[in-house]
Amino acid sequence: MNSLLEVQGISVSFDGFRAINNLSFVIGCPEMRAVIGPNGAGKTTFMDIVTGKTRPDTGSVRWGETGRSLLALSEAEIAQVGVGRKFQRPTVFEDQSVWDNLRVSLKKPRGPIAALFDRVTEADRARIDEIAAEIGLSDHLDRPAGILSHGQKQWLEIGMLLAQDPRLLLVDEPAAGMTTEEREHTTALLKRLAQSHAVVVVEHDMEFVRRLECRVTVLHEGSVLAEGSLDHVMADERVIEVYLGR
Amino acid sequence: MIRRFIVVLAVALLALGHGPRALAQDAGTGLQALLQVEADLVANASRQTVQQVLDRLIASDLPEVPGFLTRWAAREVYQRQSDGLFVYVADPDADPLVLVDIVTGAEIGTATSREVAQLRPNRGVQTVIASALVAFQLGAEDPAERLAALAAIDNAPEESHLALLRDLLATESDPDVIELAEVLLPKLVIAFDTDDADRVAAIESLAGNVSLVARATLNPLLAVTSGVGVALPEVGNLARVLEPGSDIDEVAAYAMLVEAGLAPARISRAEQRDILAAHVVEGRVGGVPVAQLDTDAARDRAYAALVAEGLALPAPTEADVTAALDAHVFYEVYREASVAVTDAARDTLEGIDMRVGAYRVLDLSLDGLSLASIYFLAAIGLAITFGVMGVINMAHGEFIMIGAYTGYVVQTIVPDYTLSIAIAIPLAFAVTFAGGVAMERLVIRWLYHRPLETLLATFGISIALQQIVRQIFGTQARPLTPPDWLAGSVAINDVVSISSIRIAIFLLGVIFFVLLWLVLNRTRLGLEVRAVTQNPAMAASMGINPDRINMLTFGLGSGIAGIAGVAIGLFAQVVPDLGSNYIVQSFMTVVVGGVGNIFGTLIGAGMIGGLQKFIEWLNPTNTLAAQTYMILFVILFIQFRPRGIIALRGRAAGD
Amino acid sequence: MERSIFARNPSVPIFIGVLTLLALGVTVMSEAYGTGAISVSFTKVLGMTLCLCLAALAMDLVWGYCGILSLGHFAFFGLGGYGIGMWLMTARTEDVVRANLMGGVIPPTEAEVSDATAAQIFSVVGATDWPWMWAASGSLVLSLLLVVLVPGVLALVFGWLAFRSRVTGVYLSILTQAMTLALSLYLFQNDTGLRGNNGLSGLQNIPGLDTVGQDRISIWFFWASAAALGLAYVGAVWLVSGKFGNIIRGIRDDEQRVRFLGYRVEAYKLFVFTLSGVICGIAGALYYPQAGIVNPDEIAPIASIYLAVWVAIGGRGRLYGAVIGAAAVSLLSTYFTGGRAPDIDLGIYTIEWVDWWPVLLGLGFVLVTLFAPKGLGGLVDYIVRKDRA
Repeated sequence: MNSLLEVQGISVSFDGFRAINNLSFVIGCPEMRAVIGPNGAGKTTFMDIVTGKTRPDTGSVRWGETGRSLLALSEAEIAQVGVGRKFQRPTVFEDQSVWDNLRVSLKKPRGPIAALFDRVTEADRARIDEIAAEIGLSDHLDRPAGILSHGQKQWLEIGMLLAQDPRLLLVDEPAAGMTTEEREHTTALLKRLAQSHAVVVVEHDMEFVRRLECRVTVLHEGSVLAEGSLDHVMADERVIEVYLGR
Repeated sequence: MIRRFIVVLAVALLALGHGPRALAQDAGTGLQALLQVEADLVANASRQTVQQVLDRLIASDLPEVPGFLTRWAAREVYQRQSDGLFVYVADPDADPLVLVDIVTGAEIGTATSREVAQLRPNRGVQTVIASALVAFQLGAEDPAERLAALAAIDNAPEESHLALLRDLLATESDPDVIELAEVLLPKLVIAFDTDDADRVAAIESLAGNVSLVARATLNPLLAVTSGVGVALPEVGNLARVLEPGSDIDEVAAYAMLVEAGLAPARISRAEQRDILAAHVVEGRVGGVPVAQLDTDAARDRAYAALVAEGLALPAPTEADVTAALDAHVFYEVYREASVAVTDAARDTLEGIDMRVGAYRVLDLSLDGLSLASIYFLAAIGLAITFGVMGVINMAHGEFIMIGAYTGYVVQTIVPDYTLSIAIAIPLAFAVTFAGGVAMERLVIRWLYHRPLETLLATFGISIALQQIVRQIFGTQARPLTPPDWLAGSVAINDVVSISSIRIAIFLLGVIFFVLLWLVLNRTRLGLEVRAVTQNPAMAASMGINPDRINMLTFGLGSGIAGIAGVAIGLFAQVVPDLGSNYIVQSFMTVVVGGVGNIFGTLIGAGMIGGLQKFIEWLNPTNTLAAQTYMILFVILFIQFRPRGIIALRGRAAGD
Repeated sequence: MERSIFARNPSVPIFIGVLTLLALGVTVMSEAYGTGAISVSFTKVLGMTLCLCLAALAMDLVWGYCGILSLGHFAFFGLGGYGIGMWLMTARTEDVVRANLMGGVIPPTEAEVSDATAAQIFSVVGATDWPWMWAASGSLVLSLLLVVLVPGVLALVFGWLAFRSRVTGVYLSILTQAMTLALSLYLFQNDTGLRGNNGLSGLQNIPGLDTVGQDRISIWFFWASAAALGLAYVGAVWLVSGKFGNIIRGIRDDEQRVRFLGYRVEAYKLFVFTLSGVICGIAGALYYPQAGIVNPDEIAPIASIYLAVWVAIGGRGRLYGAVIGAAAVSLLSTYFTGGRAPDIDLGIYTIEWVDWWPVLLGLGFVLVTLFAPKGLGGLVDYIVRKDRA
């Protein structure tokens, strides 16, 4: 198993507040990893750094077999090399139909001119139908995304992530606002994805994490507190203190 | 007594200076007789001839002379037409006029205004008379009169004054008179002294003196005349040699040659055409058909033909011109003959110029500071409504305008300017505060989540307000007059001065800044404002009423705009579009400074104001260009600091 | 799912149809080719209105679809006018000057004609030489190129600077406003080569068409404006209805999301901003020969704000809305401020429309933003939905 993403000793501070403190993180492909930690542990900031939204003050972020640095790339370029992100709050284009949302996400040339002359091929159509079936929105393709339920928007965003076909998926609280049934579906989907992709799931819900059956990284105050199986980390004194102590 | 003696002495000296001829002729008796000798010159005095009369009068040493000269200069002397007698009149408006003897002061009869002619010396003559009077006035007992005499010397200095001034300084005790005399002395020494060492000393005494008088005294010494010749002149105080092409442009240099008769004039294209046109013979010029003369080459050929026939002068070729330029020397010679004097003057002026430069920088900084405080005043209200609340209020400028009109209305009711300003400031605040609150309640609160639409709605309010004010007050500018104690200016020297009103605006800006800072950072209201703007939901749950806070904050920002309007109205024209002249600059000030922070607005205003004055200084003739470049700079600046000088970072910045 | 853009956008055939009918109607009623019911000056007003609609269309592309509220689009509009105006003025003045000089004893050289033309044009600002920016004014082709290039390059440079540093929202609006203010202040200077506050005038005289009356020229320009508007409308519909349209609407609604999908948001914004700048330039180049004069006042920030307001009133995010808004507001303004509307005598006070129209207009903006955020175009939605129900 080769490492796909190698984060080495990154730190970042906002106005003196150290959001990330000498954090290192490695994930291979295929692999599933859950990242847990209390509020303010730096989970979102960590994702911001990997996706290029925030620049770390120090440290390196390397990508793929060639070990290319992601720090010099823009958000769009990072997405193009194969990093997909699902936000905590579902962000879909509410004004546009489900079909359009998926079409925009499909892995195709990203330039303005290419977009202008883009034709929908049979393959595109098939892929959109396939994803729609996967996320259970086949009947809603023509409806504006804005009128979907919260859970459906979550699904749509996951669908958009699938359409993007990234190598690394950063998924922030995918199960929030979902029914038990939907959660199970999500778990299954993520597990299946993890067979061919690198998947990082940030989650609060321990039940959900347990069902993912994967390695767990615990963040606290911007650094890695513990790493290992869920049972292993839950047995760790410090983790217990962080979660229960205060 | 001593002074009296000096005057007599001076007059005697003057008389001696003008030789025995005057004395011999003036052997007549009394002032009247003296005047009658050259009655025509007295009656129709001109600048050239009056000196002759004055010399004689002064030489006579008659006690009535100073009085006569004063009244003559004041156009109070009349001449009777019938016998040419010079008289005063008791009352110039009376009819008939009562004539008064110029010596005895006795009434000597009456005459209608037709029978006498008023002597009306022109300005030039008046100056010469005043200058002659100086000798008498310097001897006067009253220091005020001596000061007046010095002022007269200053106006029209003469060689004779130099000795008078030196004598005066030897005996004078009044400090005011001494001060003025000491200012005048170097000027006169430089102009009239015959000893170059004295002049150089006088020039050097002016070192570091940045007054206009000092510079006006020194500059003429360095006046030059330019000349041209085959070689440099043997005599004369050479200033510099001019190199054609670098010190003087070649066209001008050649024109000098032509002027001096050292080279033939060039024939311009236009002159060539006129000459050709004057020699059209049977549709041809010099053998070339007229219709073909629409190129320079054809015209040159035709002209050459005319020259060959002797019908036109040969035009010098470029080579001729170059040769002529090379064969001659162009130079500038000082009008002042003494090298020592011009050297001293040049050195001293250089020193003065450096000082003037330093003071100019100070003056410029004061200008920039004052412009900055105007921008700050205009923008500070926005710093609250836009900076703190995030509301784009395009009608902000109209609140400024309404504040200015409030001041105007108060002045029409309360005539005392000081009192009216004192009333106008709180009233303007009240009016615009109310306007702001009304606007927030009626419009803005519905649009808090749609900032761009707030922009459009408030723009609509802005044009409506402007037009309504135009309906009420008309388009012409209304006066908002500052009280007298604000009307003047404070001058440090002839270079640095600042008008009082600008100092007042600066102080007002400082007061606003301190007050607002205290309100926002040290009061309950400020705390609540910051809470509401950062997280309205959380603030509401803690018992703060966001509606009330938003309303008050917006009212506060608008009210401050109103006060700023009164201040701005004091120096700008109060017109309905007063506000729109400030709105874009105000927004830029807030954006450059960094939103959400009145300290940023202060720095932003300082930067924009200072920069604009700096660019104006680089190109003083063009304030429009300064504004243009200033805006371009702001646009570029935003590229590098999109969040302004004082930027919030990280999650708080909300990106 | 994907159908022809015309089927997806019924507004296109309707729009083109209405525009064609309008053009036919105006032609039939024109002085030159018809009954003369529409005067030459009103024909010009109509033609100019179409140009403003074209500018509004461009504004809607950047604002309504891409979310960039530009308050400086009239800078591009004015530059288009200056671009074509330089040619019109040069060519026209040169004709007059040449005719004049031909009256002399000796025929003029080209240099003399050129000098005399420059002296004629720039005497108002006390200059006699050609400024460098008039270098292309001798050629129609080059001038037409300028009409496209100058606004395009300005939009490109400004947009590149602004977008790359991620200036967005109201900050960008203020920056665009600063841009147009800077440009108008620059043009106000007498020594910048574009005749200062005099601007360029006499643009209604088309060189080479001296013998053609204004009645025909006005209708030709009307046709040209209508054709440009029609073409631009179809082009804009095509642009916004494909994937490109999905992306820029995505940028409008959630820029960050689009970025994380791998699209270079800045490139898209720059594309749309520059395109709309160019369209504005073309609209200006058609407008000012009908107006006859272009001066720096036209570029003042308030003009651009009006443009945004038209789009808001018409309903942004729908192309026909922008056109309706611009047409409605500018025609109404012409009606009320042109002294055509009868004053209302209230006995104690007479309401003169010339004076009160701006007040009404301003309050109208407020009401529209408060109560009809979708603008007049929202009415169309309402009617269409009623039909279906």
